[in-house]
Amino acid sequence: MADLTQDEAIDRARAVKPLRVGVVGAGLIAGRHVRAYAKAGGVDVVAVADAHPAKAERLAATVGGKAFSGLDEMLALETDAISICTPPSSHAELTVRALQAGKHVLCEKPVALSLRDAEHIEEAAAASDRVVMIGHVLRYEPDHRAAKDLVEAGQIGDVAMLVHAATGSLPGWSEGGWLTRPEESGGPLLDLAVHGFDYLAWVIGSPAVRVHAVAADSPAGPATYGLATVRYASGAMGQVEASWAHPAGRGFTTMVEIAGSDGRISWDSGSVSGGAIHLADGGVTWLDPVGERGYADEIAAFAEAVRAGGPSPVPVSDGVAATRTALAALHSARTGQPVDLTTWEGP
Amino acid sequence: MTPLVRGAVSPPVNVAIVGCAHQPHAWSYARALASTPSARLVAVFDDDPALARSVADDFGAPVADDLDALLAPGELDAVVVCSPTAQHRRHAEAAASAGCHVFSEKPIATTTDDARAMITACRDAGVQLHVAFVIRFLPHVRTIKEAIDSESLGEVIGIRAGNRGRPPLPPRYPAWITQARESGGGALIDHSVHLTDAIRHLTGREVVSVAAETGELLWGAGVEDCALLSLVLDNGAVAGLDQSWSVPANNPWDYDFFLRLVGTQGSVDLDDLAESVQVVSGRMADGLRLAGFADDPDAEMIETFCASVRQGRLLEPSASGEDGLRALEVALAGYASAASGAQFVAPASGTA
Repeated sequence: MADLTQDEAIDRARAVKPLRVGVVGAGLIAGRHVRAYAKAGGVDVVAVADAHPAKAERLAATVGGKAFSGLDEMLALETDAISICTPPSSHAELTVRALQAGKHVLCEKPVALSLRDAEHIEEAAAASDRVVMIGHVLRYEPDHRAAKDLVEAGQIGDVAMLVHAATGSLPGWSEGGWLTRPEESGGPLLDLAVHGFDYLAWVIGSPAVRVHAVAADSPAGPATYGLATVRYASGAMGQVEASWAHPAGRGFTTMVEIAGSDGRISWDSGSVSGGAIHLADGGVTWLDPVGERGYADEIAAFAEAVRAGGPSPVPVSDGVAATRTALAALHSARTGQPVDLTTWEGP
Repeated sequence: MTPLVRGAVSPPVNVAIVGCAHQPHAWSYARALASTPSARLVAVFDDDPALARSVADDFGAPVADDLDALLAPGELDAVVVCSPTAQHRRHAEAAASAGCHVFSEKPIATTTDDARAMITACRDAGVQLHVAFVIRFLPHVRTIKEAIDSESLGEVIGIRAGNRGRPPLPPRYPAWITQARESGGGALIDHSVHLTDAIRHLTGREVVSVAAETGELLWGAGVEDCALLSLVLDNGAVAGLDQSWSVPANNPWDYDFFLRLVGTQGSVDLDDLAESVQVVSGRMADGLRLAGFADDPDAEMIETFCASVRQGRLLEPSASGEDGLRALEVALAGYASAASGAQFVAPASGTA
């Protein structure tokens, strides 16, 4: 591949046989998946399904796909792989059905809202020879990836401590506001912090063994500010901050620090600016240094794994582990007790 | 900031430094005392005369070789105690019984018994007890406190704060700071007290529960060098503190302080590294360094201590002995939590 230009690579992939992908859900993240598939080359998004037909049609039209009202209708169409971009309460059911229909699956994070649902996905994936990837997109964000690569290359020695802080305002984009209802999203300690839990375990390269968490209510809702502290089997420790309680005008920021026995890596999305184009009439175009590259690379990795027949770039077990840590953090914040993840069987 | 005392007609406050174990701090306080008309640096004492000279000589101050003689009734008004933390009580009690006001390095003590004894000794002697919580004196922290006090941020509900550095190891520091018997522990007690106090000072809230993870993961200094604390405040607000010695040897900066908080009506992002320029020099060190341009908050803190002594009351934003005790209780609860697998522990709530 290295000798091919991007266009040649795309042509070659297309010549083999384009992957036919269906996307379930037509919200914000589904849009990112669709755009990334369109960029990936050798992939056709042939269908978008959503309970809101107008949303499905609007998103499908951007890539010339068909619109459906649900997964079952979409399965009548020939597809190789399905992206599950619905709220997490339906991830297990949809993923299991897609696998039973013989599809490869890219399932958005968190894998589920309960350990039981997470286990259903894990069992279905184990019983299938299809690729099941969990959408922990931080692993593909260029900044997060660069840090992981440096750690992997041994540049900071053994990781001792990792702090991942993601803070912003209450997301306004979810259909009917499902994100704002804790019983449907888990709140930021699940929906947002699960990114951090996956990233920490991935970079540290060791499973989480204990978590404690504290959370506070804000006008954005119950437990919309949370801090979880995690111990890993290696002895390393980590902290994940997740907030939907910040003022909208401050914007969303990510701050990461990784302290190792021989160095330190840190960055702050608030200070990573790609610059801007300012016009005399007040117009501004911000040059986003990260952009949607994370989704593009995640989707490209999925497509490649599907073509190769595996392995999954982000296996279900990793997604389940991150979700389990998040659910335990929520439990700890509710009960005021730390959770021993080596024995925990759920709330 | 305290025009009442600048160029005032009243004579300067006569201050001695007792103990120089926290050498860089003792030196900084000596500089502050030597450079303000509000104070006169009468003498510097340490059990180790060489250490005392390393603080006194730069400011032309005499070295006292006998503590009893230094504290004998006479011209001395106040002492700045910078001995090893476990010695604070001995020195504070001696100063209080001699009628001297006491300014104590942080943490106030290694045990709550010692801290309470210091508070009692000073109260009984009718002298003030201050604790060196310098974050209170940072100009931006004052601005944030005004914003919180005016309720423009609403009620504070979440805080993440950090004060990271390196283990204070010889030769720059005397060896005692990484000896738990003298210092109370490692990174957790060394810097969590600053952060706990900043949070108490800014929010006016008390800590009701503490959980901690600690580890000796970086320096092999014999005490914990990584420490993450979770706090619950009495209004349900929560805080995460990072006071780890997690700054590598060749890092562009040596210490930091950051404070990020969110209230029901707004948020704050404060990072003291912003007050610096970037420098690369063939003479300083390899690579990039940050050269800070912030005002020295120690000078303001010492100035306020002297003004407090003159006016006969603790002036804002000085930290009292009780403030020192509260921060110590949180640190000790952190150690108890870390020893029990991160159980949530209530700080000892006895009143001083």
